[in-house]
Amino acid sequence: MLELDNIHTYYGHIHALKGITMSVPEGEIVALIGGNGAGKTTTLRTVSGMLKPREGRLTLRGKDIAGIPAHDIMHLGMSHVPEGRRIFPQLTVRENLEVGAYTVSSRKIIEERIQEGFKLFPRLKEREHQLGGTMSGGEQQMLAIARALMVDPKLLLLDEPSMGLSPLFVEAIFDIVVMLNKERGTTILLVEQNAQMALSVAKSAYVLQTGEIKLSGNAADIANDDTVKKAYLGED
Amino acid sequence: MDLSTLGPFLVGVITSGLVLGFVYAIIALGYTMVYGVLQLINFAHSEVFVTGAVVGFEIFRVLEPSPMNGYLKLLIALIAAMVASGMLNVIIERLAYRPLRNAPRLVPLITAIGVSLILQDVIRIIEGFQGRFDLTYKLPPAFNTNFCGADSSCEALGTALTKVGISLQIKEVIVVAVSLLSLALLNYLVNSTKLGRAIRAVAQDRVTAGLMGIDSNRIIALTFLIGGALGGISGVLFGMKFGTINAYSGFDPGIIAFTAAVLGGIGSIPGAVLGGLVLGVIQNLIGVTNVLGSILNIANLQAIDASYQRIGAFLVLVLILIFKPTGLLGRSNTEKV
Repeated sequence: MLELDNIHTYYGHIHALKGITMSVPEGEIVALIGGNGAGKTTTLRTVSGMLKPREGRLTLRGKDIAGIPAHDIMHLGMSHVPEGRRIFPQLTVRENLEVGAYTVSSRKIIEERIQEGFKLFPRLKEREHQLGGTMSGGEQQMLAIARALMVDPKLLLLDEPSMGLSPLFVEAIFDIVVMLNKERGTTILLVEQNAQMALSVAKSAYVLQTGEIKLSGNAADIANDDTVKKAYLGED
Repeated sequence: MDLSTLGPFLVGVITSGLVLGFVYAIIALGYTMVYGVLQLINFAHSEVFVTGAVVGFEIFRVLEPSPMNGYLKLLIALIAAMVASGMLNVIIERLAYRPLRNAPRLVPLITAIGVSLILQDVIRIIEGFQGRFDLTYKLPPAFNTNFCGADSSCEALGTALTKVGISLQIKEVIVVAVSLLSLALLNYLVNSTKLGRAIRAVAQDRVTAGLMGIDSNRIIALTFLIGGALGGISGVLFGMKFGTINAYSGFDPGIIAFTAAVLGGIGSIPGAVLGGLVLGVIQNLIGVTNVLGSILNIANLQAIDASYQRIGAFLVLVLILIFKPTGLLGRSNTEKV
């Protein structure tokens, strides 16, 4: 589905990604874990066109997408739930969803997907006409995911969906992630600080450290790796 | 004058202040919409507005001998002004602001002032080549008659209005009607259409709007088109109301409309309208303070005349910046992390 081959990305002069190679196979959940500043968010931003890689190949379903701006990539069946949720605070829940469907032209399909989103997250239905910025963090995360689903993506990029949420909400969000993968077959690239949670739902995983892939493989194996346990799972 | 005439006098002053206020409101919308998407005060908007006023003048001048219906002439003038001012605003954005999209905010601000000065002289040169400096609107004669005046079918209404102090000319009624129609259309566009949602999304978070597939450059250009078209409308209305304009006529109403936008809360569309109306009324009240002084027999007030009007607008600007910088209807964006 998605292939990164020796991707180098810079922020100004800062060499943020130093040759990332990874593969997200169709129908899988792939976790990308690592500490603060390791380059997890930069990787997702590079994939979705918010940043331009200086070097390397980036292909989505066989199509070279490096350098295509974010607003054009959305037409290719990929959706990005950004770090910090970034819902539109002064738009209502419904308007947020409608903006999410900006590239969809059929009003009927948009309405169907809004209703699907409400089925997935009944809480959003209750808040339909409330401004996005007035909701709790967990509700905003639900809205951010529902908004990303408005284009019926084949590939979903999730950046720290658990950040700042209560354990109850984290559980609920991860249930939805697994459900999307199982029932809709959505391929998911999941970036998480909550490594334990991410590794428990993913099939394969990559460990990122200061812009480089330190470890990759089966998620269960990575969860059992001693250095990973020490560094990211808080076990001795 | 004595106290018994004070009521109708004040009603008259406030009414004409509201008429003026609608013109300010439409100009202020041009500032506030552009500010909304770019956080830029488009100082060139005053010239975008004058361009509309000049185009309106030219249409009425060329069509003067034509026996065409006056309202049809008005419609042509409005559409031509909207197209000219809208396109001009788009060109300004493309050439002057877009290359500076990632520059510090002060840079496009200074550029905007530069564009404003350049356009003033371009307009002066274009009209000056034809030997014109002050452009006096040649309105259809009917526009200068009284609304519901003597011998009209609604004379009774006119008489009743005059009794409470309201006497309007047809052109002033046109100013209010066109303003209200523009406001209704803009309100629909911004709040109920896909384009409007995209404009608001770009205004709130340009980067995330990009993730939704919205090309923010295109939306910003469209916002300049809409803001410019509103500038064109307000230019024609301003020309109709005041009769004579020139290349430098944009400065005063521009500054006052900018103040109106800040007063209402810059970036807020209802705020711009409220600010415009409030400033129109304040300006007219200051203009007649000397008359009020003589009615109420207060000597100090009699010294305050129309030349104090600008002080009034700036006083409002200073007070609002000190006590409520977000404006009357503005809100600070609260985001949850």
